[in-house]
Order: sequence, then C-alpha cells, then structure tokens
Amino acid sequence: MASTQGPGRSGETRFAAVLPRERIERDFGTLIAEKRIYGAERNPDVLKKSGSGESFLATAVPPLRRLLAVWDRLFGNRVSPVELLGHLAVEIHGFGHREAILLFTRDRLLYDCQILQGNDAVGHLTLDLYRERDRVVPFLPFPTRPGRRVVYIEGISLTRQSTGYASALFRRYERLFHDLGFHLFRLKASLSVGKYYWAKEGFDCSDREQFRKIRDRLWDLAWRLDLPVAEQEVRRLTHMSDVAAFRRDIQIPAWRDREGYYTLERDDAHPEEFLFPLGKAFLLGSPPWDGHKVIYTDTPRRTALVWSDKYLAHGTPAGHAEGPKRLTALRDAIRREGLLESLIVTEPYLPGMEAIHAIHEPAYLEAFREAAARGDRYFATRDCAIGAGSYEAALLAAGGVMAGIDAVFSGRSDNAFCAVRPPGHHAGRAQAMGFCFVNNVAVGAAYARSAYGIARVCILDWDAHHGNGTQDLFEQDPETLFVSLHEHPSFCYPGTGRRMDRGKGAGTGTTLNVPLLPHAGDREMIDVFEREVVPAIEAFRPELILLSAGFDAHHDDPIADLECTEKAYVHMTLGVLALADRHCGGRVVSVLEGGYRVESFVASAIAHIKTLQGREDTPCSSAGG
Amino acid sequence: MFVGRRMKRDLVTVPPGATLEEAARLLKANRIHHLPVVEGERLLGIVTDTDLRNATLPGAAGSGEGAPRTVGEVMTRNVVTLSPEDTIDDAMLILSRQRFGALPVVDGGRLVGIVAKTDILSALIDTLDIEGIGVRLEVILRRDMGEVTRLTEALRGLPVEVRSLVLAPHLPDRYAAFVRVATIDVAMVRERLRAAGFELADLSDFFD
Repeated sequence: MASTQGPGRSGETRFAAVLPRERIERDFGTLIAEKRIYGAERNPDVLKKSGSGESFLATAVPPLRRLLAVWDRLFGNRVSPVELLGHLAVEIHGFGHREAILLFTRDRLLYDCQILQGNDAVGHLTLDLYRERDRVVPFLPFPTRPGRRVVYIEGISLTRQSTGYASALFRRYERLFHDLGFHLFRLKASLSVGKYYWAKEGFDCSDREQFRKIRDRLWDLAWRLDLPVAEQEVRRLTHMSDVAAFRRDIQIPAWRDREGYYTLERDDAHPEEFLFPLGKAFLLGSPPWDGHKVIYTDTPRRTALVWSDKYLAHGTPAGHAEGPKRLTALRDAIRREGLLESLIVTEPYLPGMEAIHAIHEPAYLEAFREAAARGDRYFATRDCAIGAGSYEAALLAAGGVMAGIDAVFSGRSDNAFCAVRPPGHHAGRAQAMGFCFVNNVAVGAAYARSAYGIARVCILDWDAHHGNGTQDLFEQDPETLFVSLHEHPSFCYPGTGRRMDRGKGAGTGTTLNVPLLPHAGDREMIDVFEREVVPAIEAFRPELILLSAGFDAHHDDPIADLECTEKAYVHMTLGVLALADRHCGGRVVSVLEGGYRVESFVASAIAHIKTLQGREDTPCSSAGG
Repeated sequence: MFVGRRMKRDLVTVPPGATLEEAARLLKANRIHHLPVVEGERLLGIVTDTDLRNATLPGAAGSGEGAPRTVGEVMTRNVVTLSPEDTIDDAMLILSRQRFGALPVVDGGRLVGIVAKTDILSALIDTLDIEGIGVRLEVILRRDMGEVTRLTEALRGLPVEVRSLVLAPHLPDRYAAFVRVATIDVAMVRERLRAAGFELADLSDFFD
C-alpha cells in the first residue's frame, strides 16, 4: 500500500503563477537552439514494435504557435519549458538522464531520454503527456469531459536491477505532476517488467474485464496449489494493490530467468527459485496489464464514489418512488458538474454471504432470492417492489458499502460516497420494509469490524424517516452509536424512533433519536445537530463514521414533511467531517438512503459530495427553510 | 373488553403484619407502586408508596414514639375494587375520576388481579397500534355511514396495508377517521384519498 496515500497537499502553491508568454517563448528559443525540441508523429510501422519506447518519429520543429498552444493546453503556462526539463531530468541515487528532449505532436508532449548510471547507459524512458477527451477508462458508462491531464508511461526499460531507482523516480514524478495539475498516470500494458511493482505503487487495472480475468487466474492458482484461500476472498478484490498485498501470510515459490522474469512453474529457462507472498508471486508471474493511477484530484479531500450500473437493475414499477431514475439523474449531475474527474470511482463487489449473514437471517435472504427469481412483484410488503435483478442489486448495495470502507481503510480515499440502491436502513434481521431489503450500513459496520479490527462505529442517519432497522440491529450494542434525525413518528413512517428510545440492555445510551416536528427546516435541523448530535458523537469517539444519507428531509420531497434545503446537508456534512478528523482520521463512509423528488435529491446529494471533497465553492442553490 | 382480560394476575402482596421496610423493599424490587394487603386470598386493604412515604417522613403525623410499624396500620381499608366482569371502560372512568393509580380485581371475595393505569395505556397503545410500523392519517368525514363505506372502499383500492382504523366524533356533524397505513409512500396515499374527494387534516392545522 506504499504510496497510495498519494501526494501530499502541501504542494498546492508550487506552479501557482501563470508565467508571462515571453518567458515561455524565450525558453522555447533556448531549447530549439540546443536541439532539445523536436516535432513528432506517430508512425504505424514503428508502432508494431511493442515496448521499444519508439512508437513515434522525430520530425522538424513545429511552428512556435503550435508549441505555445500545446504548452498552454497542458500546463496553463504555469511552468516554463526549461524548468520542466530540469524537473524531469532529475538525478537520483546516482542515476541521471541524458539526451533528454521534448517532442511535440499536434496536441501532445513527449519526454524522451536515456538513463545513465555514472557514464553507462542503462535504460530508456519515454513519457507522453496529454489531455484525454474520449472515454478511455470504462468508469461510468458515459464519456468523460475533455480535459483530464494524463501522464502516459510510454516506455521504461532498465538493463540493471534498479527498481529502487524506478520507485524513487516515480514518486518524484508523482509529486511533480500532481503539482502541475495532472490527474492520472497511465501505464502501457507492454511494460512487462514491474507488474508487481506497479500494482504495489497503487496503479490499477484500467480494463475491468482484464481485472476480472486476473482475479480468476489468482483463484485458479490458489485452487491448483490447494492453498487455504476461500474463493470469496479472491472475488472481493477490486484493486491491483489488493492483489499485490493478498495473503502475505502464504508463501509460494516462483522461478526467475537470467533477465529477471519470473514464472510460477519450474522449467530449464527459469533456474532460480524464490519464495514470495502469494499476491506478489502471482503478479510477478502474470502477463502484463494496462494500468493507471490517480495522482491528482483537485479537491482537498479525496472522495471515492461507489457506483455500479447494476444498481439500476433493481427494477420497480413506473410510479414507484424508489426507481432507477434517482441514480441515473445523480449520475448525469455528477457528469454535468464535472465531479467525475476528481472522484475516485470505485466498483462494488458481491460480498460473501457470511458478511450478509452477520446481519440477516439466511432463511430471510433465501426467501427474498426465491421471490425475485420466481418473478414476484413485491417481497414481504407492497412497498418493497422487486424485479428479477433486485436480489443481486441488494447484495451489491451492501458490497458497495464494503468497497467504500475498503477504499477508506486502505487509504485510496479519505472518505466515500456510496451511490447504492435499494436503500437499507428500514431492513431488520428478517424484515424487508420501506423500500429496504438488506441493511447496507449495518453490513458495513460489521464488515469494518471484522476486516479492519475496529470496535466503535457511529452510524448517523439523517434520512427523514427513522432508521428502525438499524436501531433494532444495534440497540443492545454499546460499541455502535446510532443517531437518527427524522420526522416525528406520530406524523411520519415508520412510526418509530421516539426520543425516549435510548437503547436496550448493555446498549442503553448508545441510541439517540432526535425527532423533528413536521415543517421543521434548516434552522431546526442544524440546531439539534449542533446541540445534540455533535456532543454525542464527540463523547463516543468513533473509529469510523457511517452515514445513512437520505435526502428526503428536503422541502421539495413528497414523502416527508420536513423543509430542509441543501444548506442543512452541507452544514451537517462539514460537522461530520470535523468530528471524523478529530476522532478517526477523517474516515466517513456515506451511504445513500432515501430522497425521492429527483431534482431536490440530486441537488442535495451533489452538495453533500462536494462537501465531502472539501470544496469551498459548495453552492446552496435554494434559500430559506 | 373486560377487565379480566387485561388485569395483571401474578400479584405481589403483603400480609398486614409486614413491616413498612419490607413493603418498601417489595415495591422497589418489583418497580410497582401498589401493594394489596391480604390475609390468605382475602383483600384487607391496599398500601401505596405514597402511604409508606407519609408514614416514615420525619415530622409527619405519628412519627417518633408510637409511630406505625406495620402495613396493617397504614393501609387504606375501604378499597375501590373491580370485578373481572367489569369493562375496561369502567376501569378507565374510575381511574380517571377518582385519580387512583391501580384497582384490585376481586372475584367472590377473592383477590384475583390488579389493573394499573399503565395496563390501560398498554391496551390503548395496542388498540391504536402506536408501536407498530405505519403512519397515521386523519380523514374528516361527514357523519354518514355512507361516507365511512366510501372511505373503506377507497382504502381497499390502495396498494397498502391498513394497520388500524379508528372512527371518532369530531365536529357535531363530522367524524375523524384515524387510519394507520403501513407504507413509506404516504404522499401517494394522501394524494389518492384527496383525489377521491376526502378531506385530510393538514399537518399545519395542528401548529396554528
């Protein structure tokens, strides 16, 4: 998990000033005179050779206006050409760069050099800097906006064992490009050396299909060697860094050839035997993969967005309040607002049943599965409309919270927003109701305990409806603080969550219900949040804060009678982040619950997500309340 | 509904010779406020925590020398009792009018149970399904059984479960129907009932 913590936030002021155009022009003049700037074009003949780092041909120097245009596009003129070359051709651990040149294509910039150790040429490096405009990464099923800045590692070869150097160089580069406002490192698949290294450094597989195959191969290997590994453990992996770190407790042999390549089966060409931890050995012996790494998000906090198209497969009939439209509208808004570039999009996984059984009775889940498979129109109650895909979507929603928890605990993100459906906070141990089937936050809390060894979890539920399912599950547990802000039960579904309900048995005192009367708005909500919620969480000192984030307390929402606006959600989000910073390293995993008028729901969720990211320009579009 | 169905049958009682301390301990241990005083199965009186407190309060009448020592000395002797065939309505009226906390139930001179205010409240909570899942809607109807029929017909046509339905007198010519429905989508129910011509009390009515 070495550098997944990402670049620090201290470099914000580096490259802040836009340089005068004359300075850039003068630098170009200098470099052209020194023969360090060329034009370049892709050559299809050369492209066929893989991994050589020479898939382009140097051509004559392009006209100055093209150089300037590319420079402005990539760097916003915040660094001069001579300065940039100086930063790139840096000397580390006795390794240096020679013949370092910049090559300009129509819209890209290439950096090419030889790597020297002392006076010996030991390798070659080519970087390709560009702004992507098509959807290269199959994150969300719509094209990304143009403009994401990318560093493509076109080629790196080193003839000697010098991974220490590569590591140091790329950490230096990561910081440099972060400060220059670059968003991603990408990796060419043909870079076969360093498959384990790239994974360990936080590069992820860019092609989900390819990643699934890698996971299948890992499971095949474990099965073939008869290792004590459960299939579920393998299926849970969602990132290459997880694969690299997988089951460090199990060692298996790998064999190396003279060039430094590994195989997992002994043969004459690979005489040297080594023992490595399972994940490492597996990756060393795997075929190359396409990788990328997020190095830059233009927000103070890194927020993961858990998303899957499969959440749309929980089909409810037309006119049903809790429909797929909620998520497609949120997705469109995330795109429209340009948030996608700064969110770390994370795919959920189908959890192992043991994770769900920690909360729900197996017979109940089985009845739900059968109802969906049989084509029933609803399960348990008429509110809980289902379709063929509902069972899997419900499990995946719980798995989404688990993936969000993974992201936060592994350091891939500071916090997470899980855009899941169906919602979960009404679901009890063996009870579906109020659009809920599996209690997503409850599964998450149990998972965070078993997987990351924490004890005290706070679940804050600001959905307009009382989270009766969550309360039932944890009311006897002194290690779970359940706090619910909701419309008063005498006026609102589900009719539970009265102030006098403070928990039971050993859990007395770790349930806090704060009912709000109908027509309460931002002022009342913020008031009780500050007066009651904040001190309760402060005193509890949680190790993780889970949010049951419903947005149906909004005044435009038809399903409850509260009259909050985005302002309340922003205020409470800021409050939760401050609590999390004080007690649990900022770990907040926010899980979508209700919110049924699409416009107000989307505006509230976007304001919430932006606040999680630490943006200061959070808008509060609707006033009053 | 009859008292016999709602009364508490497992009784905590004391003999008249029990000390005040023993009685106080019993009240505290069982978290109750009333102790029937019995001889065998025969009810002699009732003693409450207030009686005990008054008897032991320093400076109170009868404190010091010659102060009462036993339950028999401080108990109320002319106890208002119920029989199992009395109705809950009877119990509610007596408790309410005479401001008692609990009433012993006697059958043929034999103590068989006790009904406390909390038992009556539990009966109401159950009847109105206050602890169950659902939301209460308040529908105002003309005092006309035809209207009530129309309401139940309308409810039958909705995709929701009705948990309870209470019809109460409202204005001289109106009923208030309290309908408890088990659905999160209350907005839909309100909308459909209004579309069918029913008057629903708006929540803001209660805050003016």
